[in-house]
Order: sequence, then structure tokens, then C-alpha cells
Amino acid sequence: MAEMQNSNPTILNVADLPTRSPSTIKAADYGNGIFAAVPNPADFLSSDSEDDDLLEEPIDEQEIYDLIKCISDPEHPLSLGELAVVSLPDIFIKPTLPNVPDSPLQTVTVLITPTITHCSLATVIGLGVRVRLEQSLPPRFRVDVRIKEGTHSTGDEVNKQLGDKERVAAALENGALMQVIAKMMETCQ
Amino acid sequence: MAEPQISLLSDLTPPSLERTWLTAPHPTLPIVATCSSDKTVRVYSLTNFKLLSTITGGHKRSVRTCAWKPHVQGESVLATGSFDATVGIWRRWDSYGRTDAGWGLSSGDNEAVNGDEHDGNGSNADEDEEWRFAVLLDGHDSEVKSVSWSPSGMLLATCARDKSIWIWEDLDDGDNNFETVAVMQEHGGDVKCVAWHPVEECLASGGYDDTIRVWREDLDDWGQVACIKKHEGTVWFLDWEGPETVPASTSSDLQSQWREQRALSGPRLISCSDDRTVRVWHRLPKETSQPGMSSSATTGIPSIIRPTGTDETWEEDAVLPHAHELAIYAVAWSRKTGLVASVGADGRIVVYEERLVAPSTDSDAMDTEPSTRPSVQTEWAILAVFDGAHGIYEMNHVAWAKRADRGSEGADEEVLVTTADDGSVKVWTLQR
Repeated sequence: MAEMQNSNPTILNVADLPTRSPSTIKAADYGNGIFAAVPNPADFLSSDSEDDDLLEEPIDEQEIYDLIKCISDPEHPLSLGELAVVSLPDIFIKPTLPNVPDSPLQTVTVLITPTITHCSLATVIGLGVRVRLEQSLPPRFRVDVRIKEGTHSTGDEVNKQLGDKERVAAALENGALMQVIAKMMETCQ
Repeated sequence: MAEPQISLLSDLTPPSLERTWLTAPHPTLPIVATCSSDKTVRVYSLTNFKLLSTITGGHKRSVRTCAWKPHVQGESVLATGSFDATVGIWRRWDSYGRTDAGWGLSSGDNEAVNGDEHDGNGSNADEDEEWRFAVLLDGHDSEVKSVSWSPSGMLLATCARDKSIWIWEDLDDGDNNFETVAVMQEHGGDVKCVAWHPVEECLASGGYDDTIRVWREDLDDWGQVACIKKHEGTVWFLDWEGPETVPASTSSDLQSQWREQRALSGPRLISCSDDRTVRVWHRLPKETSQPGMSSSATTGIPSIIRPTGTDETWEEDAVLPHAHELAIYAVAWSRKTGLVASVGADGRIVVYEERLVAPSTDSDAMDTEPSTRPSVQTEWAILAVFDGAHGIYEMNHVAWAKRADRGSEGADEEVLVTTADDGSVKVWTLQR
């Protein structure tokens, strides 16, 4: 890799990262491996009672955090959790349609804090987080990944790109980009 | 009077197993084409809701968009746009395996023919071959997002993430030759959608730069005649009002008054956006130019700068009632009924109706001059909402199509066709 953008980032001790104790909760991996781009609708729509149990299992902020903290930074041999790029207080889960009480849709918002305000890799990191969550969470979740306000010089631009479904879909078909993302996720599980 | 209701008529089966992006109803036959992330296009019957054929092998990535060429005799011509940056043109004889006679309405005979032909064994090998790959239009640098045929079918507009719009002329020379007529690069970001005016050679586009732009040919050059900056998010989709529809009203006087008014400005444009709004736009009528006076004489601008004064002013006509909580990906304005439908990431179908508002009588005393007769006002109302139309999945597209199954109650009845992230395509009726 070329010259690092931030050669001396602040690093948190793994032991200090928030965990659920005892750590018996497994991250639910709903796809056929994390690269199953397309979830099988039968997994979520079937009336099979086993699947219903899966649907009922609540997913909380800690579980979202556990899914993404292990993603590697594209330029450091460290995880996004250790670099505090993602942190538990910056993850929010709320109903997507508060006016529709029976709607199962939930929006997961993850605010990302880049290690430096002009980090050109912010988009790739954000995409990695979005891809990780979209491939791990049931499709009733709407994933909203954004740069935490005031932590990046072109935050709005990055946010618009990360929120653009069509661009994200096209990125998933871009082999070179997906190789980078796959490398970032090697450290997950 | 019962509340208007959106009800599921049928799924189109079998569905794609990957995201479907858009469904294009054929201009005359009761069939639709659905494009999918699995790199194929599926052609379904609206008569029996079954898969008729699959177009494969042309694109290396997701097929994002497709459009049927209008006014083709005896043959169906489909343009497809893909994330692989290319546009494909596909042809198929309408006479293949069936005749188009009687296709419009489902008679028992036609059902039988279809039944025999597609008797559930799922082997479509022969039918797949009926689609002839005609030509690949190469020019865009990145993902093609939208394609649209001009009302005459002579011109094809395509747009892409490379911020450009290309206009191609179908030379119709029997050799599948297309000529590049124009490349417009004014947009500041991905061009998400292009849509031709229903009767004129006038193109509208919308995109990632949050703008809507209107384009016309001036002498030999295509150029931008308007840029509308009002949306606060990506403009995902555009549609035009049909030239014939009139807002609902019990007063035929009011309706004819409205018709006169519209005749001056022409069909309106509708847009939907990431900002969760659906907006309607109209062109301000051009000042009736005096015979013998050139535009340079009236504006004082030297003709070398504004050779023909093609600039148009487009104004916001209405913001439709708020109905979506997330990005709105598609809007469809029925050319038959004037009803509007919108869908988006919140999985909701919303149908709106425009109504003429009776002029308030209070102002009559104040305003007696006939020349200042107030323009006829309209208001938009939400007619029906359906939540979770594709379960938990986001919806990418909605289109109005002529109803063609046995349950059809009249030649004018329409259905809605919706397309979603799980690959499903659903057909809905609106009961009023």
C-alpha cells in the first residue's frame, strides 16, 4: 500500500471494547456465508416455526457492534473497533415506519468516525460496514451508514454515496472493490 | 362509497431470485419485461401472469433498465441498459409461436394456446432463441441507469453514472445501425433517469445532482432548455403526464377551462426523489411572440448569444401529499386515468388523484375583468396506500399497464406492476 494517511492512529485495547458478558451471543449469519449477496427469501418469509424463532430473536446495538467491530481498516492491521472508527454509542436501531405499528422494518444507523478528517478511505470503510450489515442482517433491516457529523471534510458527499442504493449495488459487482472489502472482512469470525 | 383499495391480483411467476429493478409494459401486447440483477430480462404475460421467455447472454452485469420501442409493426424491439455500461437492442417476431390477434383481451382460445405452449415444464430453451440480439450500443463509461424511446421511436436516450446523456437515432436501415445524435454532459453527477415527452421530441432527465433538466433540439444541436433545482436529494425517476387526461371534477365547465389552460403549457412532468417528495412541474407558456418580431428584438439579447431563445421556464406545480418515509424510487403517471402511483424503499404503494378545485366565489366581487380570470386550481389527494407490498423488501419500480387477464372488467381497466429487491414482480388492481 502507498503512504499511509494516518501513520499514528489512536488505538483502543481490545479488552476495553464493549462486549456482552457472558459472550454467548453469536452473530446471526443469515446468508450462505457473508458473501451471499442475495438472501433467500424463503429463509424469512416461510411460516416454518424455526424461521419464526429466528425472526423473533431481537437484534440490539451490541450485536450490530459485534458484527462490524472486527472489520479491518484498509490501511492498518487493526480493526474498526480498535481504531474507534465504529463505537457502540454511535449505533442506533429504531423502527423504520413508526406510524405503522405492525411493520417489522427497522433502521440500523451506524455513525463512522474516520481516524483523520480527510481520510480518502472513508467511503470504502463505510461501504465495508454497509456490505457487512446487509449480508449479515435479515432483509427487514434498512442499513444507514453515515460519517459522524463534523468528523470528515467531505462527509455529506460520502454520505450521499453510501446512501445511494444503485451505486452500492454497482459497487458489489465491481471485482476490484469487492476484493478490498473481502480483505477487510477476513478478520471477521 | 367504499374506500378505494389496492389489492393484489397476482405475482408474475416464476420470479427472479435476485433483485429486479424495473418492469416495462409493452406498448401494445399484454406482456411486460422485467430486468434483474441476475443479468437477464424476463418477459411475462399479463394474461396468465406466467414467464414467456428470458433474454440472457447479452449483459455482463445487472440489467438496470429496459424500454420497448413504440410503433414497431409485427416485431417487438427492446432496449436494455446494464451496469456493464452497454445498451443492448433485442428483437423478436410477434408471430413467433402465437399471433398477436386477440392478445389484448383474454379470450378462451388464447388462454388455451398459451397453456399448450408453456405447459409448465419450465423448458424455455426454444423460446429463449426467439430473442435476437441485434446490436450493442457502446459509448457510456460506466453503469447505464435508464433508457427511453422518443414518442416516434426514432430516437433512443440513454444515461449513466458517467454524468452523460446520449441520444441515438435508430436508422431503421434493416442493418441495426444506430447513429449518435448528441452527447449531453451538463449534469453534475450520475444521470438516474431519462424520459421523453409523450408527443414532442423533448427529453427530461434527473439525477444525483438533485436537478431535473429539460432538453430540446435547436436547429441541429441538442441542448438544455431548463434546469430545475428544487429537490433536496437525488432525483430517482421522472414521468410525463398523458396528453389527454384531465383532473377529476364533477364540473365539465371547470374541466374544459382546465384543458384550455393546459393547452398553453403542455403536459406536465412528475418527479420523485431521495428527499421523500413527489413533485409536479409545468412549463410557463411562452409569451405569444408578435409576428415578424424575432426573439432578439423582444429580448434585446443579440441573436448570436440566444439564436432562437429556446430557454423554457419550469415551475413547481404541486408537491404531492407526504406519504413515504424513505427514498422514493419510482413514480408513474397513468396516461389513461391521470392517477399517479409511487413506490420506494419503505415498501409502500401510494396512489394519488388530482382534483379540480371549484373557484371560491368570494373573489368574484373583487375580480370582474375577464382577462384576469383566475387559473383553475387543482389539489392532490392520496387515494389509497398499501404497506408492505413486497413484504419486507424495498420496491424499485411501479408502472401502469392495461389489464389483460380474464377478470378484466373493461378495455380501459389498468393494473399496477411493482418490482422489488427480492426479485418478485406483483400485479395490483385499484378498486374504487
